[in-house]
Amino acid sequence: MNDVITFKAKDYKSGVKPIWCPGCGHFSVFNAVTKAMAGLGMNKDDTVLVSGIGCSSRLPAYVDSYGFHGVHGRGLAIAQGLKVARPELTVIAMGGDGDGFSIGGNHFMHACRRNVDITYVVMDNEVYGMTKGQASPTTPMDWDHSKLTPHGPGVRPFKPAALALAAGAPWIARAYSGNPNQMAHLLAQAIEFPGFSFLHVLSQCITFCPQQTDWKAIVNERQDAALEDEDEAARLFLHEDGFQTGLLYQRQRPTWPPEAAPPNDPDLTGGFRL
Amino acid sequence: MTQTDLAAFLAHSVELESEARERYLELADAMRAHHNTEVADFFMRMAHESGLHLEEVAQIAAENALPDLKPWEFDWPGEESPETASYEAIHYRLSLRQAIQLALENELAAQAFYASFAQSSADATTAELAAQFAHEESQHAAQLSVMLKELPPDDAHHREDDDDPHMPE
Amino acid sequence: MSLSIAITGAGGAGVISCGELLLQGWAREGGRGLLRKAFGPQIRGGESAALLKLTEHERYTAATSYDVLLALDWNNFSRFEDEIRLRPDSWIICEPDEDIPAAVLALEPRIARLPIAALAAQAHSDGRVNMIAVGVLGKLLGLSHTSLAGLAAQKLGHKPASYQQAATACIAEGQQYDLEITVDTPRREAGNRWYISGNQAAGLGALEAGVRFVAAYPITPASDVLEWMAGGLEKVGGNLVQAEDELAAINMTIGAAFGGVTAFTATSGPGLALMTESIGLAVASETPVTVFNVQRGGPSTGIPTKSEQSDLDIALHGLHGDAPHLVLAPLNIADCVYTTAWAVKLARHLQTPAIVLSDQFIGQSSAIVTEPRRCEVQLAAKRADDNDYLRYRLTEDGVSAVAAPGEPDRRFTADGLEHNEKGTPSASNADHQRQLDKRARKLTAFDYGSDWADLNGNGEVALLCFGSASAAVEEAAALLAQRGFTTRTIALRLLAPLPHDALHAALEGSSELVIVEQNHSAQLWRYLRGAMDFAQRLHSYAIAGPVPLSAELIAHYCEEVLAP
Repeated sequence: MNDVITFKAKDYKSGVKPIWCPGCGHFSVFNAVTKAMAGLGMNKDDTVLVSGIGCSSRLPAYVDSYGFHGVHGRGLAIAQGLKVARPELTVIAMGGDGDGFSIGGNHFMHACRRNVDITYVVMDNEVYGMTKGQASPTTPMDWDHSKLTPHGPGVRPFKPAALALAAGAPWIARAYSGNPNQMAHLLAQAIEFPGFSFLHVLSQCITFCPQQTDWKAIVNERQDAALEDEDEAARLFLHEDGFQTGLLYQRQRPTWPPEAAPPNDPDLTGGFRL
Repeated sequence: MTQTDLAAFLAHSVELESEARERYLELADAMRAHHNTEVADFFMRMAHESGLHLEEVAQIAAENALPDLKPWEFDWPGEESPETASYEAIHYRLSLRQAIQLALENELAAQAFYASFAQSSADATTAELAAQFAHEESQHAAQLSVMLKELPPDDAHHREDDDDPHMPE
Repeated sequence: MSLSIAITGAGGAGVISCGELLLQGWAREGGRGLLRKAFGPQIRGGESAALLKLTEHERYTAATSYDVLLALDWNNFSRFEDEIRLRPDSWIICEPDEDIPAAVLALEPRIARLPIAALAAQAHSDGRVNMIAVGVLGKLLGLSHTSLAGLAAQKLGHKPASYQQAATACIAEGQQYDLEITVDTPRREAGNRWYISGNQAAGLGALEAGVRFVAAYPITPASDVLEWMAGGLEKVGGNLVQAEDELAAINMTIGAAFGGVTAFTATSGPGLALMTESIGLAVASETPVTVFNVQRGGPSTGIPTKSEQSDLDIALHGLHGDAPHLVLAPLNIADCVYTTAWAVKLARHLQTPAIVLSDQFIGQSSAIVTEPRRCEVQLAAKRADDNDYLRYRLTEDGVSAVAAPGEPDRRFTADGLEHNEKGTPSASNADHQRQLDKRARKLTAFDYGSDWADLNGNGEVALLCFGSASAAVEEAAALLAQRGFTTRTIALRLLAPLPHDALHAALEGSSELVIVEQNHSAQLWRYLRGAMDFAQRLHSYAIAGPVPLSAELIAHYCEEVLAP
């Protein structure tokens, strides 16, 4: 029996029990992460999952790899520092829409621009779950279910894919928690892509946004090949409804940091001696 | 081709049963954490039954060289393997009736999947095995139907908590 | 004896280059000295001053008054009035037909007129006034033309050849001009010396201690630490990332350190304030990082170009929750090598963040120093030798074995949430108490040896300070000794954890304790009073920047305290 079920997704689970509500889309992302790791046969010791704060940022502890659960909004910075210092590791950053697009928005833009070879998964449920359901940067402007913004946030939600494109992300895909196998496949491609790969996951929040169960009827899988042209991608990301899944844009460019020249002089003190 | 048919079928069967088992275990854990003990126990029972079926399938599979399919390379009729409870069909206040109903749908989907293999496979061994598995799934489904009939109807769809949700972080 | 020379002029007129060439020339001939730089807020233009102090020792304090002032022009000189104090016996060197400010004339100083612009024009079509100043002052100091011209050529190496020719000609022109004044110069003696700034010394200490990852966000007056390290890392290997903000810088540092690579960032007050949340993450996740803070006048944007010791409060107490960490302070320019290296090694060994408090005075001043002492202490990281690995295992000394990604069978998730020994998030009372105790214990149980402070003397009056105040305090002690008072000085290098027992022992037998610091609210005095009981009578000498601490004023304060 063992012979035929080795390298299964479940082998990549740490055994720590998730705190998520049953019905939460993040279970599906967890499933996809372990499937991608199994599918790629990834070495657990050489893989690091890094996150910020929020429901989704709890995910690294559930995976049997190295992990870092940091502070709110800074997962991407930790991940980039780690990858630059240890380029041989596979580094996957993750978090929610509040973590990545609000408090961590600056890091998101600059990670897209810097193009360090990491993967970034944002589990977007359009809400702050850990603090009891407040509006996030992707919440519809008329969503009036939060006591903090009883008449809705009244602010236009932004478009993560468009922002990523404008900031220079070379690989942009969207997945949906209702389709973990597609998500696993996208995640595997993201991990293998040489550069900053941004996977935007529509991940439903059953507790604060139960209406998101309707997403199943709306999401549609992109049938065409990923766009390579930035102008075409810009048109797509600015005008789409945001429910198209699949690899949407891919245009490889040099990663950072470039290959460094070998150390050239062990003597640091020469300039100071008189 | 015949050999490939059988190997592919077995690979799918192993994945189907192990995914079903894993998902039930995961859901049982989550339901237990949310004090929905009744449903947690039911999902544990379903995990156990999927486990038994998995062992049976795996024993047969062990005698064959299976294709090394990545999780996204399986050819399922839907988005996930048919016997796997979909994440978005779950709610932490799920009633036992709803849970059984969900499991029943899973068993029927698995039965349909195996049955279609039984009908379409040119390989006699594959067709025979698929028919056998389909039969087993229909037996499970029948048991679940009986359970459903014995249950009183639910009074509400999703019962609400008396307290607001927590603020953990 | 010492000789203090101020060279002032419009920003861009080359006074800083002039000061650097003179000090380097002086150093080549065995001299010792310090070059402080003072700037206005403009990037170009405005005003600038090179403040030279030539000495016979390396106890470098800012000069309290100047023997010579060479003014290339008098524009905005008033902005330096508090920093460049003159006496009736000071020499003023300036253009013949320029009006000397009334405040300067009121002192009735000695005046020597020097046709600077005319000499520059006469020496070379591309002549520069600052090189005339190099020649004139070089002659005053007895420095050779060959030496100064050679240094100028080195400095201008990247500019067109005509610049170098002009510089050489102007230096010669200045040296030939007979200004008809003389000054007494300090004794010189040959020795193995360096010319280095505190910020460079800090970068050197960090790299020598094994730093191979630096995250950088530009800020005055810390940017030159990071700039020097960018070049240094190319020599020894490693990476420097220019971050998008200080929040990213500290977290990139934490990420690299989690990867097992020794990591460092440098900043100043506003940046430190932004970093504090994540320094707390480094405490909780037990990730070793070194944050080098070059203090400047605060609060808020404050006085970015000038020095103060007013970040002690935030360095000690700025983190939320109970967050024990290391706080150290280099005592002088040369000590920036040692203390920074020590901080890096302590942080790595104790798996906690270290905040190092330098300041603009020692950071951006350059000095001639005897080859700096190095931090030779070997502190090996504790490694696990069993298979039952627990990242946050409770141990007697509080230090748990480290592991970095890539190591087999050591997988864990570092967490800023309170956690159990394994690292799994836990809100239980027992886990919280145990992990708090452990993180405190690993710092207090460690033996820091004798370098927690520099101690001198055993008089009844103790002068206590931290960081760069140490030179002024030592100088004050020397003045007091001349006046018949015996003192002892304690210059703290390690501020947290506070070595209570060692400090008590160092104070044994003293009756008066004067706490000296350069800030407005007596931050060190408050810290010490809250941290321990003293048998001595306590006195606070706390003066905010930007004017440097004065040994004379400190000595005067002590005399008043001691007056019967």
